[in-house]
Amino acid sequence: MFFVVNCEGLIPTIIYMVFKRLLLIVGFISIYAAGFAQDISFQGSAKTNVSVGESFTLTYTLNSQGTDFRGPRLSGFDVISGPFTSTSSSIQSVNGRTSMSVRYSFQYILQANREGTFDIPPATVTVDRRTITSNSLTIKVSKNGAAQAVGNQGQSNGNQRQQGNVQTGPNDVMLKAYVSNSNPQQGEGISVTYKIFTKVPVSQIMFSKEPSFPGFWSQSLTKEKEKLQQYNQVIDGQQYIVADLRKYTLFPLKSGKLTIEPLELVCQAQIKRQSKTRTGDPFFDDFFNDSFFNTSYTPVEKSLRASPLVINVKPLPSSGVPDDFAGAVGSFNFHTELDRTSVKTNEAINLKCVISGEGNLQLIDKLNVSFPPDFETYDPKVSNDIHSSEKGVSGSQVFEYLIIPRKPGKFSLKPISFSFYDLKKMKYITLTSPAYTIDVEKGTGEAANVTYTGANHEEIKYIGSDIRHIKNQVFVLDHTGTYFFGSLGFILWIVIPILLFFVFVLLFRRFSERRSDVVLMKNLRATKVARKRLRKAELYQKEQKQEEFYVEISQALWGYLGDKFSLPVAELSIDTVKQTLVSKEVSEDLIQIFIDTLNNTEYARFAPGEKSVNMERIYNEALAVISRIERELR
Amino acid sequence: MIGMPRLWPCPKGLILIMILTVISLTANASEYQLLLAKGNSAYSSGNYKEAANTYNSLVSQGLESPYLYYNLGNTYYKLNDIAHAILWYERAKRLDPGNEDVNFNLIVTNNKITDKIEALPDFFLKRWFKAVTDMYSTDAWAVAGIAGLILALSVFCLYIASRVLMIRKLGFWAGFSILFLSLIFLMFAWTSYNSRKSEQSAIVTNPTVTVKSSPDEKSTDIFVIHEGSKIQLIDHIGNWYEIRIVNGSVGWVQQENFEKI
Repeated sequence: MFFVVNCEGLIPTIIYMVFKRLLLIVGFISIYAAGFAQDISFQGSAKTNVSVGESFTLTYTLNSQGTDFRGPRLSGFDVISGPFTSTSSSIQSVNGRTSMSVRYSFQYILQANREGTFDIPPATVTVDRRTITSNSLTIKVSKNGAAQAVGNQGQSNGNQRQQGNVQTGPNDVMLKAYVSNSNPQQGEGISVTYKIFTKVPVSQIMFSKEPSFPGFWSQSLTKEKEKLQQYNQVIDGQQYIVADLRKYTLFPLKSGKLTIEPLELVCQAQIKRQSKTRTGDPFFDDFFNDSFFNTSYTPVEKSLRASPLVINVKPLPSSGVPDDFAGAVGSFNFHTELDRTSVKTNEAINLKCVISGEGNLQLIDKLNVSFPPDFETYDPKVSNDIHSSEKGVSGSQVFEYLIIPRKPGKFSLKPISFSFYDLKKMKYITLTSPAYTIDVEKGTGEAANVTYTGANHEEIKYIGSDIRHIKNQVFVLDHTGTYFFGSLGFILWIVIPILLFFVFVLLFRRFSERRSDVVLMKNLRATKVARKRLRKAELYQKEQKQEEFYVEISQALWGYLGDKFSLPVAELSIDTVKQTLVSKEVSEDLIQIFIDTLNNTEYARFAPGEKSVNMERIYNEALAVISRIERELR
Repeated sequence: MIGMPRLWPCPKGLILIMILTVISLTANASEYQLLLAKGNSAYSSGNYKEAANTYNSLVSQGLESPYLYYNLGNTYYKLNDIAHAILWYERAKRLDPGNEDVNFNLIVTNNKITDKIEALPDFFLKRWFKAVTDMYSTDAWAVAGIAGLILALSVFCLYIASRVLMIRKLGFWAGFSILFLSLIFLMFAWTSYNSRKSEQSAIVTNPTVTVKSSPDEKSTDIFVIHEGSKIQLIDHIGNWYEIRIVNGSVGWVQQENFEKI
């Protein structure tokens, strides 16, 4: 308006007119929009009573063009699909007035998953930048089948079918699980079959949940896309068409009560329709509702669930379990084959072990084979030929070991054992292969395959660790708690040697004392004896007994030395005398004089000349030399 | 072959006693050796229960040998009774600490127990001293000491008797060195004898033992030890023993949970 007013005085009339028109248009549009807005409806609708497992449609309808649909938060329901958006528009021409209507619908397909009453909060949608909120819904979910028949909130215009009136009987379609043996041994094969029983045609079977087998090793026996085999069966006087939907072979891996989670499926049951077409004309209604004309089928969605199976698995006997038992149960044969027993180094040998028979063959995944450590070994190639049927699993499992001896020599392959539990004989059975001896000769092509790393030494390979063996040889057994240390024997062994030592010391001292006494005595006596002899010699000199004189003098000299230095008479000679005197530190010239005197004595005996003079001289010399030595030794 | 009291090498004065004991024991000797052979063959043929019984009967007759205990330890190991295996190895080790077989098997067996307790490191001199002491058994040290003593005294005699200067000099110094060595040996014998007599260790034989803070069932749980662990006994009040594990932790346990080495 401000703009218009502003223009009024400035702009010419034509322009003013144009603006007036524009204003009119704008005004009209806004009125129209307001009227339109009042007509917008956003409605949610769904069945208010559903049963658990039933799937139903939740529809939100909007009679205008809407964007940004925000669905409700759905608790208590699983969204199977949706939301789908669909649009329809219609143009009506009534009495020359044409009106156009647009319908947007947002659809969910929901499945009730538990019992109770659930609120579905409002959904929102944006129309012309305005947020429009729908109504909220309350849905009562009841137990299977009970509430399905109660009318729904569906549209009821014209020719549409009243879906709510269509129902299936509780036993029209059934899903059952059969187990061949609900009380097996651990490891014993059982088969589980899921069968559908139906009195009405069934189509579009969709497995919503495959069964799970916790605690079992399972194998499906039904092949994909296999045509279902149908047959008739009468239960409680009712004829049913039966089809095996799923078959499994199961091997319990542990003992105890194991539960198999059931199979669940959704199918379309083709139910004879009890529908009425309402045309408003009683004649037509009756005519078309006649059973002859009206034999069309209505597909009804059914969700089926087999009851869970509880398998009570008996444990295998705990007594007499072989060491190498690894869970094989059934009845088996075992044989081994070594393709050759004499080879050259670096040539491959093939060891084939075949386990054949009936039982849980697939679960035998390894054998306890130990090769000599000098062999190069590889993981075995495992192949099998196994046939599974309802009756059980049979076939063979083959282990092929490739071994390459790297060192020449004679090697022995320990017997390979395979243990299993025999269900028929109710005991553990161990089958053993023969022991093989392999002769390995030194091959020629060694250089090609073996890389030399410096010296041709190898580290010792430790394959296992164990305690050492017992001492087998004879050893001394003692009485407990006896110690040599501190015992009487020990003390005696200490004391007696010490005593002996002291006794020895004592004895030795006494002995050496005695010996040193003799020497002293002789020493002391030496001069005395010499004197005596000299005196005797003096007497002989006076008597002019020349012979006796010289004997006496000579004996005095030699005897003196012998006694003095405790030398035996036999050892006496000029040399020993010299040595002894030197060792006694007697001066050189005195030694010379002594020796001269000795010599003179011998000489003078036989020398010519005045005998008495000679005797006189020798006597004096001897006397002088003895007293001089005596003095020096002191 | 069979145990006389440890009087060998025997002084003259005791020959009579010795002969008497030998006479009284040789009557049983062959029987013991027969039992031993029976145990050994039972072990070798894998009949461990019987081997254990046979060895145990020898032990209950008051006989001992490091190798008897060692064989018994092996038997318990094979019977998968790790705690008793360790107990008997430890008893064997007590008699002959330097025995290589015993120590090897003890290490192998100790790897199988639950508890891994970090030992507190000893002062290095103490460790060395202990290592040297543990090289031989108490009686081996004692015999070595006596042999050294006798040798030293003989050398001293030589020193005293000899008039040759070289021999006298050599004899003097050699005598003192040998005497010194012999005294060291005797000291080793004494310490190992002492530690074996006074030091009380035990092996936990119950699978799980909760160690309490005081000798009372209601007191706080301090830590948990498992079978096969070695514990040191410090003190006891009635049925309750104060124990120390190698990492230095101390607590109280009841007697039925362990067996003394």
